[in-house]
Amino acid sequence: MNLNYSEEQTMLREQIQKFCETEYDFYKREDVVKSDNDFDENVWALFAEQGWLSMPFSEESGGFGFGPIELSVLFEEFGKALVIEPYLSTVVLSGTLLDKSNFSGKADVIQSICEGSMHVSLAYAEAAKSYEYNSPSCSLSSDMKLNGTKTLVLNGSNAAKVIVTCMKDDLLTLVIVDTNSEGVSQNSFKTIDGQSCSEITFENVSLSADSIISSGDEASTLLKDALNLATLCVGAEAVGCMTSCYLKTVEYTKGRDQFDQPISNFQVLQHRMVDMFIESELAKSLLFKAMLEVDVDSEEKYKHVSALKAHVGKSGKLSAQDAVQLHGGMGVSDEMMIGHYLKKMISIDALFGNADHHLALFSK
Amino acid sequence: MDLNFSKEDIQFRDEVRDWLNNGGYPEHVKYKQDNDEALTRQDMVDFHKAVSAKGWMGYNWPVEYGGTGWTPTQLYIYNQEFGKAGCPPLLAFGVSMVGPVIYTFGNDEQKKRFLPDILEFNTWWCQGYSEPGSGSDLASLKTKAVRDGDHYIINGSKTWTTLAQSADWIFVLVRTESTGKKQEGISFILVDMKTPGIEVKPIITIDGEHEVNSVFFTDVKVPAENIIGEEGKGWTYAKFLLAHERFGIAAIGTSMRQLAKLKEVVSDLDNSELNKKVAEVELSISALELTELRLLSALENGGNPGAESSILKIKGTEIQQRLTEIFVEAAGEYALMYPGAHGYGSNDKPSGPEFAAASLSKYLNMRKTSIYGGSNEIQKNIISKFVLGV
Repeated sequence: MNLNYSEEQTMLREQIQKFCETEYDFYKREDVVKSDNDFDENVWALFAEQGWLSMPFSEESGGFGFGPIELSVLFEEFGKALVIEPYLSTVVLSGTLLDKSNFSGKADVIQSICEGSMHVSLAYAEAAKSYEYNSPSCSLSSDMKLNGTKTLVLNGSNAAKVIVTCMKDDLLTLVIVDTNSEGVSQNSFKTIDGQSCSEITFENVSLSADSIISSGDEASTLLKDALNLATLCVGAEAVGCMTSCYLKTVEYTKGRDQFDQPISNFQVLQHRMVDMFIESELAKSLLFKAMLEVDVDSEEKYKHVSALKAHVGKSGKLSAQDAVQLHGGMGVSDEMMIGHYLKKMISIDALFGNADHHLALFSK
Repeated sequence: MDLNFSKEDIQFRDEVRDWLNNGGYPEHVKYKQDNDEALTRQDMVDFHKAVSAKGWMGYNWPVEYGGTGWTPTQLYIYNQEFGKAGCPPLLAFGVSMVGPVIYTFGNDEQKKRFLPDILEFNTWWCQGYSEPGSGSDLASLKTKAVRDGDHYIINGSKTWTTLAQSADWIFVLVRTESTGKKQEGISFILVDMKTPGIEVKPIITIDGEHEVNSVFFTDVKVPAENIIGEEGKGWTYAKFLLAHERFGIAAIGTSMRQLAKLKEVVSDLDNSELNKKVAEVELSISALELTELRLLSALENGGNPGAESSILKIKGTEIQQRLTEIFVEAAGEYALMYPGAHGYGSNDKPSGPEFAAASLSKYLNMRKTSIYGGSNEIQKNIISKFVLGV
């Protein structure tokens, strides 16, 4: 047993930390969020330059072959800095799904992702389907016409291609569609955590046979594993948020004087910060279990990701709420970073199944 | 990173399991434990003697004093397997508390005199720390020891003394100097429970059990050679002892066993609210298990987890309590028919599920866990000061 990060993993963390601390200023991020852009193109180019966009892909696909531990390190640090660039959507959800598939055109797409020249989104969600992703209403007819509407397509408006879940001959099927095809229309929205998503409608969109990535059981597994890995990533992101929440709150209460002393002297606040610390450590422990089991060949790989997601969905939100409370009026001020962790925690809980949903999966 | 135990550790785990399952764990003790029956003093002695005969009593001692010299991982495995098997917890007072103080700070004469009997469980120790006026603020203790020739004369009282009614010896924190800082002037002394002037009075706890006591000292004459280390340095030894008390405090093995029983009980009830509560506690156990393993891994890599281990105390005891709460809820109205310390007397057992009778008594008993060993609020103070730096 060894639960210590390797030297390479520690170096990777330091590299990301350095970037987040020196290049990823919160106020610069806010300028981007409030602009018409969904993220900073220069930052994305820098991600490509650092090799971060190639991290999880197999070496055959031109990637580094890094595993869930490195991805978790990256997302933990992203969580601390509240990074809005669409890594989850393009690299994790879409890229790793393609990489694990037998899709004939995957090499070109993955190469473009690694270079930072193309965004791809995964359209897995539909209205009124809740967290059930295996039986979409979206359909592909026998003459290869795609029809239906997908919701919550993360980063959809920037994607050149979108991977769509649909039913063909009663089988779950994954197809890849150019977003500039005729019959594709979309509405774009900002999300609560400063990112973007789209609702995309496909109306008699003609596809060729080679746009099918996979179908049947194989498609189900590809989808399930991509969503599982993405759930691990947002779980790691939540751990980063929870760590920042308690650290920033400790720092703030030490510097805030009331009644002639720092408010950190008050035991009632100390114990709340200790609770925040404990919950973040427990979340970190569940992250360790989840990232070390996510590649095993059994149902365990879903179970422990569910444990992590259930925990951060509940206690992560509570920690962020406490952070806001202990910052007093500043906590609800939009110009302070602290309230944005709460928004991030809410969005993380809502994605890929909330705390209750994953608690039920964990205890199954 | 790797979550798997090494080949050697798995071999060790199998050896522990083999001992527990194949005759090592005394049958009559196992039967009572499995059926929620109270253990007698003799049962406890039999159990400890069996562990001692296997050479596992000095589980956290170095080899030079007759200990096992185990790695932190082996100690973790040992503790977890004993918990999962449903063993009674090993009494900490001798082997885990006074033992390490004696071999670290005692003289050769004291080591020779006391250590072998601890390892063989020939002496049953109890702990004279808390006083009626000194709980979490332990250093405010008032029990006094005055030097009189080659003896000390002790006057005062101790309280919450666990199983003093069964003990042969007690280690006592006494005040030998009243001026200066309250932490100074405390000494650590060993006292034979048969010494004239010692009186043990039971304190009955809310579960109806006699587990703790008041111990009164009236002109108790103790040989000066029984003092450990230097007079006035007792606070240092007392704190050292509390650090050793952390062994197994998370009680994860025990909680896992309770969880397994609880799941059986709840699965018959088809109650989604209860199912959710069980799932939540299962999640907490999983998180705490990994937290303990992370601390262990840091320890084995030469790190010093320090105050982070207070998490184990806080969450471990919360989990133990939570499990008993859900048992009581699952028992529903049958939890009302409480047998008390002496069973149902001449009555037949009431109807209702088997587990119902023990559920309330365990629930009431487990209330102590968040109070003893440094209350959970004190643990939060420790984390606040030493981890958060406020």
